[in-house]
Amino acid sequence: MSEKPIPKIAQDDPGYKMIMLGNEAIARGILEGNAIVAAAYPGTPSSEIMPAVAQCAKYHPEMKVEWSVNEKVAFEVAYAGSMCNVRAVAAMKHVGVNVASDAFMTAVYHGVRGGMVLISADDPSQFSSQNEQDNRYYGLHALAPVFEPSTPQEAKDMMKFAFEYSEKYNIVVVFRTTTRLNHGRADVVFGTIDKKEQTAEFDWDRNRWVCVPSNTRPQRADLLHRMARMTNDADEFPFNKLVLSDRTVNGKKIGFVAAGIAYSHLQDALVELQLENSVSILKLGLVNPLPPKSLEKLLKHVDVLFVVEELEPIFEEQCKARAFEFGLSNSVEIHGKDLLPQQGELHPETITAAIAKLCGIDYSTSEVPALEISAPPRLPQMCPACSHRNIYWVMKKVAKKLKKKFANNNDIGCYSLGVYKPLEMADTALCMGGSIGMANGMAKVLPDDVIVTAFLGDSTFYHSGVAPLLNAVYNQNDILVIISDNSFTSMTGGQNNPSNGILLTEEVGTQIPIEEVVKGCGVPADKIWIHEAYDMDGLMEKFEEAAKASGVRVFINRHMCALQELRVFKKQKVVLPVIKVDPEKCNGCQVCVRQFGCPAINFNFETKKAYIDQSQCRSCKTCIYICPQQAFYVEK
Amino acid sequence: MTLSKFNCFTIGVGGQGVIRATHILADAAMAEQYPVRTAETHGMAQRGGSVSGYLRFGKDVHGPLIPKYGAHVVIALEPSEALRSVQYANKETYYFINSSPILPLSIYQNRKISYPNLEIIEKELSKITPHVHIIDALGLAEQAGTSKSLNVVMLGFAVGSGIIPLKSKTIEKSIEKFVPKKALQINKTAFQLGFDEGGKIHE
Ligand SMILES: Cc1ncc(C[n+]2csc(CCOP(=O)(O)OP(=O)(O)O)c2C)c(N)n1
Repeated sequence: MSEKPIPKIAQDDPGYKMIMLGNEAIARGILEGNAIVAAAYPGTPSSEIMPAVAQCAKYHPEMKVEWSVNEKVAFEVAYAGSMCNVRAVAAMKHVGVNVASDAFMTAVYHGVRGGMVLISADDPSQFSSQNEQDNRYYGLHALAPVFEPSTPQEAKDMMKFAFEYSEKYNIVVVFRTTTRLNHGRADVVFGTIDKKEQTAEFDWDRNRWVCVPSNTRPQRADLLHRMARMTNDADEFPFNKLVLSDRTVNGKKIGFVAAGIAYSHLQDALVELQLENSVSILKLGLVNPLPPKSLEKLLKHVDVLFVVEELEPIFEEQCKARAFEFGLSNSVEIHGKDLLPQQGELHPETITAAIAKLCGIDYSTSEVPALEISAPPRLPQMCPACSHRNIYWVMKKVAKKLKKKFANNNDIGCYSLGVYKPLEMADTALCMGGSIGMANGMAKVLPDDVIVTAFLGDSTFYHSGVAPLLNAVYNQNDILVIISDNSFTSMTGGQNNPSNGILLTEEVGTQIPIEEVVKGCGVPADKIWIHEAYDMDGLMEKFEEAAKASGVRVFINRHMCALQELRVFKKQKVVLPVIKVDPEKCNGCQVCVRQFGCPAINFNFETKKAYIDQSQCRSCKTCIYICPQQAFYVEK
Repeated sequence: MTLSKFNCFTIGVGGQGVIRATHILADAAMAEQYPVRTAETHGMAQRGGSVSGYLRFGKDVHGPLIPKYGAHVVIALEPSEALRSVQYANKETYYFINSSPILPLSIYQNRKISYPNLEIIEKELSKITPHVHIIDALGLAEQAGTSKSLNVVMLGFAVGSGIIPLKSKTIEKSIEKFVPKKALQINKTAFQLGFDEGGKIHE
């Protein structure tokens, strides 16, 4: 039998070069750094790290990997690994760090045994996030070092180094990346996989690991010392680089401070302006703490300092403070957010234009004529056959029938796309698990003609929906919770979770039916409804019942994520029935495209008939139900 | 290696293979010893949203983003998506556009929004550059064996045109790496069909 070859990423082949996604390069760094425990909760742009780590773990069985149910648990799982003397890493998106922060903020007091890295994948421009918070602040907030790579190669190398650093300074390292790093590819050269002797053992050191004030007060004093040491050594950090140039640009010595992707853009901008060799640059790999001596040298060397950083003016404020301390306030002019936006990712041309302006260089790009047309918007949408769309449709119909309004507190998942036309069924959404929490509050204050609902998915329910559901039961806050269970964490790429019971490694774990959890939270059995999302008649009937009832009640809408089911169908070579539109029956009312909005249904404005794009249709047959003319049919 | 930088912007709709096409070119550029950078939109790719892939290679390339007006080539797998790339185009940019539209749902949700027809798209883009080429890539892909090979037809076209400074042999090797075995022959045919068409643009 032909064995599947070991994937390149898992091979000990130093010097091998391949194109890697930033997230794969990070995973390779985790392997090369010999981490034993790796735990994460998915979230764009971090989600591809763990599957790549799991690929490595398959061939390096000392590695223990998991999808945890949320980021706080992921952090704690990894941190416990560190406590037990082995290297560990937790990965999450930037807002995930908020969830993990309670554990993180005190873990830095206790310190580490095995090296521990917390990966924070930030998302400037909010490509797929609810905010664009700058997690470099977590380093300042917690007194933790923050690494930030500027290329996939550096991401791999710095990740490997981070474990060593963590052990040297007895601290959790924050490894901050941004979307363009995580979701960008580049040529990466492999290093060695440095397996070191790591025996997992616990030391029962109660005076260290228990967070009573008598322990953590002295630890805080020690943490301040550790930070002072890290600051003192920051000038020798191997991924920092200070280049001083004696040249001038229009009579002035110009200097820059930059890190991460912004540093790469800065290099592009300097090439564009042919200034590469005429300016001084402090490139940071360690973005907290800043290297005091390098900064002093740079501040004393230049006439003008331009801090090129995405989002918040974190370096800029520190540069200004240092300049003040060194008595240089009048001799060096410091720029940053006066020339660059504080919102959104930076673009190379923005930096180029800002430098040109600052240096008085004539820089104009070719003008391109404006066009009279633009591309029609193409927003992301729920897929054909998505079960979320079905329950939204039913909710709308039931609200109309009962002449009541839903205050639909929504959550974060594919169903968030229900905020858009044509369904417009999300009224609030704040953070994961927030739907049930906010419904609790609305139920306390809103009048009875409003049905207060919370709408969330399976992964979000396990992540942070259980506590607020308990709260509703305990406080008797009258809410209807709709859990649209598609068995996967779909929005972030279809990861497994307790609803399907499959593990990150694709091995079988324990499946935890949502209804069992709900019952355990104290919701009585007669206040729990479960229904198949493709059975529209039944869904309508049962949902109406649930909407009319009172007390804390839970409606579980269930069908496997259509994308995943399609994969199953393909594997099993299932031939799906063909759905068609009968042009005789279709009267052109456009309910299907203007109110339901399945992407597989199109409308021909010439013939005024709907038609199905067979390449997209997944034969869920919901269109047969929603069409007032019953024009859709299954081809025999 | 003398090439300073080459910027190729690929755009299309989720599911059309924008990211795969970008990855194949990136691998080929690496094989020809260039430093390579890409940036890709992943998050919404499966949700029918617009997807773009930035590819840059050359000795002076550092960051992954193509600067405004900086694309040497735009490969649009869907015609209206080509319009979303105009900020990267200049008067020398080559546009390679697949002719088959995928209608966005927005046209049903707002009566003011309509889908522009192909001649208008071509005419408008021609205001920016004379090098606008429309290809029936879907037809060629189906001829090769499956509509899914549309992205590879477009790659073939771009390479066949001679505008992408990479050898077709290198790209074929990269295709072999990333395409599953059972689809390989179809994709090779798709590349060749596109390549032959691309060779005709200078006629
Ligand atoms: C704190 C936090 N962690 C992670 C994410 C990323 N994220 C967005 S949606 C989602 C999960 C959605 O899963 P589910 O609730 O099952 O809904 P589905 O997408 O499957 O419909 C995640 C993890 C986030 N937005 N916030």
